Amino acid sequence: MTAIGSAARFAPVRLLGRIHPSYAALLVLLIAIAFLTPNFLSPLGVMAFLRRGASLAIVSVGQLFVLSMGGFDLSVGSLITLAVMGSALMINNDPALTWHAIALVYLMGIGSGLFLGLVVSYLKVPSIIASLGALLSIKGVALAWSGGSPQGYLPDNFRQFGRVTYHDVPIIQVLPMSVVVLAVFVAICAWLFHGTTFGRLALIVGDNPRAADLAGVRVRLVRIVGFLVSAVSAVTAGILLGGFAGPAQDVGDGFELQAIAANVLGGTQLLGGRGSVAGVVAGSLTLTALFTVLNLIGLPKPLRDAVQGGILIAAVAYSVRRQGWEK
Amino acid sequence: MGAGLSMAEAAPRFEMRGIRRTFPGVVALDDVSFSCAAGEVHALCGENGAGKSTLIKVLGGVHQPDAGTILLDGKPVRLNHPLEARRHGISIIHQELSLLPERSVADNIYVGREPGRLGLLDRAAMRAGAETWLRRFGCRFGADAVAGSLSIAEQQVVEIAKALVFNARILVMDEPTAALDETETERLLALVRQLRAEGVAIVFISHRMRHLFAVADTITVLKDGKLVGTRPRGATSPEEIVRMMVGRELKDYYPARRARAPGAPVLTVAGGGNEWIEGIGFELYPGEIVAVAGLEGSGKAALGRAIFGAAPFSRGQMVVGGQAVRPNTPLDAIRLGIGYVSDDRKAEGLALRQSVLENALLAMRGIAAIFSRPGRTAPRGRGIDQLLREVDVRAAGYDQQIRLLSGGNQQKTVLARWLALAPRILVCAEPTRGIDVAAKAAIYRLLRAYADSGKAVLTITSDLPEAIGIADRLLVMHEGRLAGELPAGATEEDVVALAAGHQFEAAPA
Ligand SMILES: Nc1ncnc2c1ncn2[C@@H]1O[C@H](COP(=O)(O)OP(=O)(O)OP(=O)(O)O)[C@@H](O)[C@H]1O
Ligand SMILES: [Mg+2]
Repeated sequence: MTAIGSAARFAPVRLLGRIHPSYAALLVLLIAIAFLTPNFLSPLGVMAFLRRGASLAIVSVGQLFVLSMGGFDLSVGSLITLAVMGSALMINNDPALTWHAIALVYLMGIGSGLFLGLVVSYLKVPSIIASLGALLSIKGVALAWSGGSPQGYLPDNFRQFGRVTYHDVPIIQVLPMSVVVLAVFVAICAWLFHGTTFGRLALIVGDNPRAADLAGVRVRLVRIVGFLVSAVSAVTAGILLGGFAGPAQDVGDGFELQAIAANVLGGTQLLGGRGSVAGVVAGSLTLTALFTVLNLIGLPKPLRDAVQGGILIAAVAYSVRRQGWEK
Repeated sequence: MGAGLSMAEAAPRFEMRGIRRTFPGVVALDDVSFSCAAGEVHALCGENGAGKSTLIKVLGGVHQPDAGTILLDGKPVRLNHPLEARRHGISIIHQELSLLPERSVADNIYVGREPGRLGLLDRAAMRAGAETWLRRFGCRFGADAVAGSLSIAEQQVVEIAKALVFNARILVMDEPTAALDETETERLLALVRQLRAEGVAIVFISHRMRHLFAVADTITVLKDGKLVGTRPRGATSPEEIVRMMVGRELKDYYPARRARAPGAPVLTVAGGGNEWIEGIGFELYPGEIVAVAGLEGSGKAALGRAIFGAAPFSRGQMVVGGQAVRPNTPLDAIRLGIGYVSDDRKAEGLALRQSVLENALLAMRGIAAIFSRPGRTAPRGRGIDQLLREVDVRAAGYDQQIRLLSGGNQQKTVLARWLALAPRILVCAEPTRGIDVAAKAAIYRLLRAYADSGKAVLTITSDLPEAIGIADRLLVMHEGRLAGELPAGATEEDVVALAAGHQFEAAPA
């Protein structure tokens, strides 16, 4: 049919329309970085950039699963902190315990995601409140456990995920392990979101949960899986950050808001119904590029935070405007 | 003749000239002229997607025309925003209900123009004002009721009050009767006549010929964004209007019934009841269409929801295909082979920003394994594309967002969603609400063909002629109970009498 054919022809254009603001901003920022740092446009520079952006990209993609179904997961930042601090405490200088610790922090993440999902879908607590509560309690647990100051130390076999770089790789020359983790995680999420029934249902639940329920969709299950993916993404990001930066009590601070901002930049609709993994990855890299530029021009940390907050508001305002235009 | 003065007097309250409005890929309005005088009821009709809502959205400042002019009392105006239109006394009741579900009726009626003194809300004045309007309409709910708890018909009444509460000089009603039953419709039409007598210019959009002819002074027909013609009511007939709308004679509006082979019932309910209904007992056989009629609030909607497990029976028995069952959720019911088309398409039927395709696939997605590949093929092996073509959904493409489709096409998509699962019992609540005559005929044909394929259809409808025209049997409800059963060929009087609660000494067999 001709009508359907023409719609198919326009599909790529529409896809571009969905993520283009982020791509445009990303391009401008990358050019800025290239000017500010001479060797940025080498494989080494690009890989270093991706390595820096990997954890944010991972939590952002995780956040997509909750945002697209009309929720928020504000607990991811403190879950990152818990993953880092918990690993350091559990390993306690014994490299033999690394894998146990990793398994345990994933279990904690899954427990937290499951709990949030259950609370939101059975007790009908708005996810923004439930996850804010989770943020506070998880952070409290992390701080109490570590006795208020960073303790323990992360052995090399833990830190490799965030730190190790393979050399002499053909074509790209270098390949940080965190970029491999990023690629694998994004691939799995892209499959989940775009290649399974679950992904379609997530968008439908975000669009109209009542209609989904009346069509036999297991809305609660869909919501719970969404929170699980988000929690697992936070733990994964935490493991990379622990290797990258070492144990610190504030490693995860602000990641929840950055992840939401990355989603908005990447075309995810707040309150649900729309979003794509590719868009979110682009959005998160845009934010990373922005932080890099702010860093390079020498803005102090408090000012950087202020700028970041401003950008979050601007991005949301823009996306709301854009949704308004579509009407 | 004192030309100047009488010309001014003759100037219509509003006049739209040569209006053109396009959307990406569609010309929604092409050179349309339309006007309405003070004290006139001007009906606007046409098929789904003809451009009726777009035309009145242009009048209401929601959309700006690409070409053409709007004159109010003979003076050209530009309406760049709904608020500007409102300032000119133009009040529009949009087709899509837009109440704030969490707020009270009074809050909703006064939203955006709350009466107040010194910046404080005058709640007493709001409540009193709202009550006046509710009384005028004979409502059973008060100004403090929460909007979300009202039925669609009741919400419609609140929308009307909301439009009338500041003195409208021009009142536009986009399908106000779609959700109303006969009594409420009568009340609305009486109100329209009263407002006409007060000199309000009224535009009335409806797909129901009976309502148009009951109230309109003039009728204008649109087709594919173009003006087909304007007729005084006295000089035309429903047949002519339908012909103008559809572009051809519409034959076999209700499809022929076929004798059904006797067999075991597919559904039996005995003593079924819950919070809203009581003592429900009936049987449903494969191959038949049974219509449930009754006034708004009679429990007919609750009956459909109970069977589908959305608001389950808490008492009594339900037998499906010979087995006692108790569906407590929609998913339970779907697994038993029951489908349900909701009467509130927008709130309960559609994921508006998703594609036609995803909406059509939704029920299949619901029962699919959650991490399975999202397929496009119905269990019977038919592709969903083919099914959408069969039910004749017209869209720019099946990956177009469903909110951009006309009501009739949205409804056909919801039907396709259930046909894809081929449930043995299909419950349809108001299956033709807000859709045009041609689409209605198409849906009647689809439902009849579905029944003929050996499935059972239970339609719940406030449209009496539809209930009588399509059903093999009628169940009539009154105050939460089944008041009686009528065979095909029952008259409207029979149904109305039962629905009103009149008891007969000897009920007709
Ligand atoms: N915002 C929009 N974007 C794109 N197309 C639109 C938009 N609004 C309406 N259309 C298209 O314009 C045409 C006219 O639509 P309109 O809603 O005016 O029809 P209608 O006569 O009110 O139909 P119905 O009886 O179903 O309410 C349709 O083809 C519709 O798909
Ligand atoms: Mg319309």
